[in-house]
Amino acid sequence: MQLKRAISVLLASAMIVAMTACSAGGGSSVETGSKSSTANLPAFDSLHLGTDYKNIKANLKFLTHKTDLVNTTFKDYVQQFQKLYPNINITYEGITDYEKEMSNRITTKDWGDICMVPAFITNKADLPTYFIPLGDQKTLANTYNYTNMWMYQGKTYGIASNGNIQGMVYNKKVYQNAGIMTLPKTPDEFLTDLQKIKDFSGGKVVPMYTNFAAQWTMTAWDAYIGINATGSPDYMNITLPHEKNPFSKKKDMTGPYAVYYTLYEATKRHLIEADPTTTDWEGSKPMMNKGQIGTMALGSWAISQVQTAGSNSADIGYMPFPITVNGKQYATVAGDYNYGINVTSSNDNKIAAMLYVKWLVEKSGFAASNGLISTVKDDPLPTILQESFKNVTLLEDTPAKAGEEALYGNINTDSELSLNSNYTHVAKIVEAAEGASESLDGIMDDWNKKWTAAQQKYGALK
Amino acid sequence: MKKANRTDGRQNALPFWQWARGLRGQQMLVTITFLLVPLLLFFIFTCLPFLKMVQFSFFDMRYIGSRTFVGLDNYKSVFTRSDILSSLKLALYYLGASVIQLGLALLFASVLSFKTRLGSFFKGTLFFPYLVCGIAMGFIFKFFFTHGFVLDTVLTAIGVPHGILPMWLLNTNINNFSLAGSSIWRYTGQNMVLFIGAIMSVDPNLYEAAEIDGANGVNKFFHVILPSIKTIVVLNIILSVSGSISAFEPPYVITGGSFGTATYFVLMDQIAHLDQKVGLASAMAIVLLGIIIVVTVIQRLVFRLFLDEDEKGMTFRERRRSTRRIAVTASSKGGK
Repeated sequence: MQLKRAISVLLASAMIVAMTACSAGGGSSVETGSKSSTANLPAFDSLHLGTDYKNIKANLKFLTHKTDLVNTTFKDYVQQFQKLYPNINITYEGITDYEKEMSNRITTKDWGDICMVPAFITNKADLPTYFIPLGDQKTLANTYNYTNMWMYQGKTYGIASNGNIQGMVYNKKVYQNAGIMTLPKTPDEFLTDLQKIKDFSGGKVVPMYTNFAAQWTMTAWDAYIGINATGSPDYMNITLPHEKNPFSKKKDMTGPYAVYYTLYEATKRHLIEADPTTTDWEGSKPMMNKGQIGTMALGSWAISQVQTAGSNSADIGYMPFPITVNGKQYATVAGDYNYGINVTSSNDNKIAAMLYVKWLVEKSGFAASNGLISTVKDDPLPTILQESFKNVTLLEDTPAKAGEEALYGNINTDSELSLNSNYTHVAKIVEAAEGASESLDGIMDDWNKKWTAAQQKYGALK
Repeated sequence: MKKANRTDGRQNALPFWQWARGLRGQQMLVTITFLLVPLLLFFIFTCLPFLKMVQFSFFDMRYIGSRTFVGLDNYKSVFTRSDILSSLKLALYYLGASVIQLGLALLFASVLSFKTRLGSFFKGTLFFPYLVCGIAMGFIFKFFFTHGFVLDTVLTAIGVPHGILPMWLLNTNINNFSLAGSSIWRYTGQNMVLFIGAIMSVDPNLYEAAEIDGANGVNKFFHVILPSIKTIVVLNIILSVSGSISAFEPPYVITGGSFGTATYFVLMDQIAHLDQKVGLASAMAIVLLGIIIVVTVIQRLVFRLFLDEDEKGMTFRERRRSTRRIAVTASSKGGK
């Protein structure tokens, strides 16, 4: 009998503990993490691989979105790295729906040691809650690119795995066959060229493949509205949050309107695939390689994937987005996903993680072997980009002004446009053009209204 | 003094121990001990998340970062935003589909409950789609409806000219019908199995009696089978209605909610995960729960009023009418 009573008391107390633990976990996710624990860490740029912390012991867990490389390339990397640091062990975990899953997992604090800094962190003031600072942005910028992507109050919280240029993947042979000798420089030239491709091939080649059904691919269009469409590095983070009706048409056909106009008109004139709802992302790469697709709107990371999807890698080229601002063409160059290190890991794990991340960026050859732009400043551009981007000015987005770090992110999500992260608004353009249900100006008016409402909520309009 | 106190204490404790040793006490203790674990699990994994969701619905919040209390603002926007309201209308397509689905299921069930050639084969074939998981079903139908794939091939094979075939998922006039059609395929078998189970439990003597009275198959269906399986029919209707309001898998997997196919659930998913408006999405979930509860209560009431028979074979309405009649005759008698 006493045993039973003891059990019931035990269970009851277990329940109470579980309850309080749950509510405590829920509540503390809002508070900021401990800042003192990062004080005695070495600076990322002054670490010497292979000589510093030679005997450090750690078991690291690495969360990545590159599910295809977890059992191949990354395993190799760990083996190579362990030649330098035999006592550091790294376990990779690939996550298919990375952003969605991380939005839940990151709040638990013990998700692992290294992850790719998720794009849903729109407020940079949240960075210190989750990641350790890798050093002062100004010092890191001497050696590395894209250091201000995840900068908050002068410190950098992530280091890019590689860089990307925003342009379009195209099949050179398809363009040549259609008699296009110079690459288009304005939206209307581009649309004429797409029509040429369609006419010349008798409709057999898809002039521009949207990859509509894959959804995430559609956000590539948002990536063009900044530097590509305006030539201004300040546009995304400084101008756009304060601009009145940013989606309205401009006389010289630049800016966001021109970008979405290209997509809308291409759809309306049936220069895209016949049935966008059933496109297939994996299948689109070999199709483009074989010359069944003319153009795809994707970042430069996609080049090597299309090249290796078949035997015609020499046919694949990369061109700037067809917008010219005052006679010049521009392209955004930005970091891809950044490596971030968990602020709640133990000190040894943090140092070990820094060593591995540094090795990945500098020694692994990840960027070079995939035809990507390296994060390290002194590494050369991949050859494919050297030729077609000769006359194009490559620029990085300037970070928001001090005190306004959260403004763009807040307006962006509150307006539910969620540029660069939610595909639904871009999908709406294709839907409207396909069914001729709504004019582009109507959609842009709607976006302007949503944007203005969010701007007013956060006091961004003066 | 001390000694007296101790005996007092023992005497006070005695009734509890006596109760605990007795039959009732033992029963209670055993029940509580066995229930503790499931209740604990139920509380942690069902009640707690639900209460949290209710709490979230009053906040303007994302997954990370600070939260602001906004009172009923989220609920207000659920009822005022045109995109949310129009997504609820899509439930009508699935509701229409569930009528066809229940009709088909009832038809197949009443045929297959009796000895039929290849009966088990047909039962198996009809039930099979329900065993396919929703995601796999989505992919099957994605290819089924793709332009120039399965459906188009079949239609051209039977002589439909290729030129007039529509884009099944693109054309906004028909794409919701396509999606609702796929859910008919999936759930007919499940409804049918429930119906067959109910029909099997009908007393076979009733058929014999009906036959002696000269009833044909149709008579038997309407006067013997249908009244006997009423409860299951109502259950299936309730399940289908709440299922159509919360339709999610076909639009999510097949079209991703594009081209006007985003049902309430798909929209909720987009608002919660892509726009990170956790508060608004929680409010949407609670409103949906409210809608389903209201619809179910209405259905139960209608059932009680018009269909539910007591042991005399009278419905609630008939009973009221007859009591009134008795009252009227009684009062008229009294007047005499």
